[in-house]
Amino acid sequence: MHDTVRFHYMDNLRALAMLAGVVFHAALAYSPLLHPYFPTADRAQSPAIDLVIWWLHLFRMPLFFVVAGFFAAMLLNKRGMAGLFLNRLRRIGLPLVIFCPLVIAAMSYSTLHAAAYVRNPSPVLLMIRQFSQMANPPAPPPGTGHLWFLYYLLFFYVLTWVARSLVPGKPGNFMRGLKPGWQLLLFPMLLAPALASVSAPHPAPESLFPQFWAFGFYGPFFVFGYLLSGHEALIDRFRGFAPWLLLASVALYGAFLYLLRRHVPTAASVPIALIEACISVWMTCVCLVAGRLLLNRSNRLLRYLSDASYWVYIVHLPILFVIQYRLMDMAWGWGAKFTVSVVATFAVCLLSYHLLVRKTVVGRLLGTRMPVAGSAAGA
Amino acid sequence: MSTAFALSGVTKRYENFALRDIDLSMPEGQVMGLVGVNGAGKTTLLRILGGLALADTGTVEVLGHDMPAQQVAAKSDLGFATEDMRLFKTRTLRWHMDFVRSIYPGWDEVYAADLLRRFDLRAEQRLAGFSHGQRVKALLMLNFARRPKLLLLDEPTTGLDPVARDEVLEALADVLRDEARSVLFSSHNTKDIEQMADTITFVHNGTLLASRDKESFLDDWRRVICHGSWVPDKAAWPEIAAVRQNGSIVELKVRQFSAGLLERMQTQGAEIRSADPMNLEDIFVTTVRAGGAA
Amino acid sequence: MNRSPLNWPVIRLLVAKDWQLFQQQLAACVFGGIVALCLIGMATGWSFYLGSLLLIVMLVCTSCFSISNSLLVERKEHTLAFVMSLPVTPLDYYLSKLIGNLVTFLVPFLAMLAGTVLVILYTPLPDGLVVLSLLIFGHVLLAYAVSLSVAMAVESEGWNIFAMIASMLLINPLIMLLGQIPAINDHVKADTIYFAPVAVAILLAQATLSVVVLAATGWVHCRKKSFY
Repeated sequence: MHDTVRFHYMDNLRALAMLAGVVFHAALAYSPLLHPYFPTADRAQSPAIDLVIWWLHLFRMPLFFVVAGFFAAMLLNKRGMAGLFLNRLRRIGLPLVIFCPLVIAAMSYSTLHAAAYVRNPSPVLLMIRQFSQMANPPAPPPGTGHLWFLYYLLFFYVLTWVARSLVPGKPGNFMRGLKPGWQLLLFPMLLAPALASVSAPHPAPESLFPQFWAFGFYGPFFVFGYLLSGHEALIDRFRGFAPWLLLASVALYGAFLYLLRRHVPTAASVPIALIEACISVWMTCVCLVAGRLLLNRSNRLLRYLSDASYWVYIVHLPILFVIQYRLMDMAWGWGAKFTVSVVATFAVCLLSYHLLVRKTVVGRLLGTRMPVAGSAAGA
Repeated sequence: MSTAFALSGVTKRYENFALRDIDLSMPEGQVMGLVGVNGAGKTTLLRILGGLALADTGTVEVLGHDMPAQQVAAKSDLGFATEDMRLFKTRTLRWHMDFVRSIYPGWDEVYAADLLRRFDLRAEQRLAGFSHGQRVKALLMLNFARRPKLLLLDEPTTGLDPVARDEVLEALADVLRDEARSVLFSSHNTKDIEQMADTITFVHNGTLLASRDKESFLDDWRRVICHGSWVPDKAAWPEIAAVRQNGSIVELKVRQFSAGLLERMQTQGAEIRSADPMNLEDIFVTTVRAGGAA
Repeated sequence: MNRSPLNWPVIRLLVAKDWQLFQQQLAACVFGGIVALCLIGMATGWSFYLGSLLLIVMLVCTSCFSISNSLLVERKEHTLAFVMSLPVTPLDYYLSKLIGNLVTFLVPFLAMLAGTVLVILYTPLPDGLVVLSLLIFGHVLLAYAVSLSVAMAVESEGWNIFAMIASMLLINPLIMLLGQIPAINDHVKADTIYFAPVAVAILLAQATLSVVVLAATGWVHCRKKSFY
């Protein structure tokens, strides 16, 4: 039956993007570049971390938004606009409203606790410690934390409706019809202005007020995924380019790191933005090609991880914070701390998924056990 | 036999016009043609039956339901199209069809598709691009395809080109093949009414001049040509609605024709040349100009 | 007068129909609203004011478009007769218009209200501004209720435009008037929220009047004698 066709590679790529986020956030604590800005920044650091994570950072969420756009188009096709909205409100809106305050409360509680008790505090913890000694400590502005992507997905669904109401004709056919070479060249140009307007590496758009640059950067990836839906053969057209794209991205990443070292302004320069844009697009395409070639299958383990990834991503950060605040006062090397924090976080997240989520009302809320691929789309 | 509608003592006043004391009913399965000049009250009468205007006094019953109290039940089985009724310009005909279908459970999609073809309409076209004739046909299609028990049509053929008019009348005739369906329609075009209606009702200046079945109606009227010097006095001859003299030729329009009448005229010295049936238009014009009952 | 029970399925269809007819303008307004939020989020002085202004313009646009599309255009284009020929009572029709328009207006209105209160509470702006903001939003609600009522009850397009513009413009005298009331004005720049009795009275009056105006319109509408 057509309805039950699963796009395994899309499911798996989404899970991979989510689970890689746990590793990414764990690594931030040991990144020299982010040391002044991250609450769990540790004494133990390694430039090797920076070398890897900013590479990952350039295409992890773009890839996620491609998958989200892909499933959005599929759901729209199947259930119509009202069906899409209802489903997304239940699967994205409701979890955001429920978990965002809980997750943020848990993180601020553990952070305040750490600010008071950790003996080797990070610069952020030190600042919080100073603030908390003031008579009227300023409250942090409300935000969406690491669940910003759910917030933006809601905007993207609304914008999908706006575009379908306002944009005449079928511009999608035009974009799909371009030669793949042109697509790979023009797409990055589209992203460069957005990336040039924020610092490099780009931050997470956590504010409750949406950010132009986040729409300008992640939006086109959502549209890309949307246009891929029903036209998956487009991915195959990139196959011949993939090795070259990978090589070019690695080379450009070298240039990126070089430019980054000489340049710490609030907004990225145009060359940096262009490089970021190219790597984002090209590596996303490489991932799609690789996913379609290697990950278009399912077994019980892959399926389980794919189901668990939404829950794991929602709750991982407060758990990671608690673990890394503990590790701050230990005299281990960065490698040990990093490994322990990743393994322990995964263990707690997966265990909680298995015991508290998979077969309960929470699992139904997150739609992690629905038989149809579109069900957990975007999450 | 139950009635399709019944009006009793209905009055409706507007600033410059009043519909007065209307008593009219029609059995189910009938076709009634409303004949009247512009502003005679045909549209108002149809609007009262369709629930779009409330009568000031009197009772209105449509398909056995009191109006306006039970208008939802009545409107569910009504088809209603007036000349000034418009569809949504920015939407396609398909959108209208889906909208109407979602409201009327009796919507017949096969019949609708058939009507689309016969009326030469494109469902995917927006109404803004429709000509007058296409608009009328679209509105009628939306009404026909819901298979109403009673159709109220105000000037359905006005402004249509001959081809469109023929298409509409043919479709209307198909509707009427079903004995249970009733139609009340108005028209300036007396030919349409003569062709379709079982019953004919004349409306003028907000009052009913006549309402009778077509056959006996047409049968009663004659155009009599006589020769001679005799000119009847209309007061003494109530059967005669109009008299016109041209030299020694006298043309009489007779509303209650009978062989006896001709004999009586001959006894007055009139030399009868011919006594021919009249068409509805002629009858209507004569009635209105005679200013009285037909 | 109308003894038929409310025809909810058809009311729902009529609301959906109005939204479909209004979809393009609504989509444009929603887009404008998102742009406005982004402008506010840029957190520079000019963009904050431009964004706030654009947001209010979009709110007013949405409500005016919604009223105009669902009521004024329907009458002008003679589609009202088509709608009223469907199995609905005048009350069904009134409710469909009321529900459709109120939802179209209240969703962005309440979101903006909540956003404004949040911004005041979580930024260095004095918290006392909350009361003044609520009074201004109360006026916008009342102005909207009046515009909607006039659109339903009065056929003249001129009066309708007048009602929309005049009721919204009255916001200026209102702000000036509120500035003259010490019980309100003295607390605007304070860091605590103080609801003076007069402020509460005005808020209650605005809310009550809005409801009364809409209810009265429904009463008038159901006693109309022509629906085309």
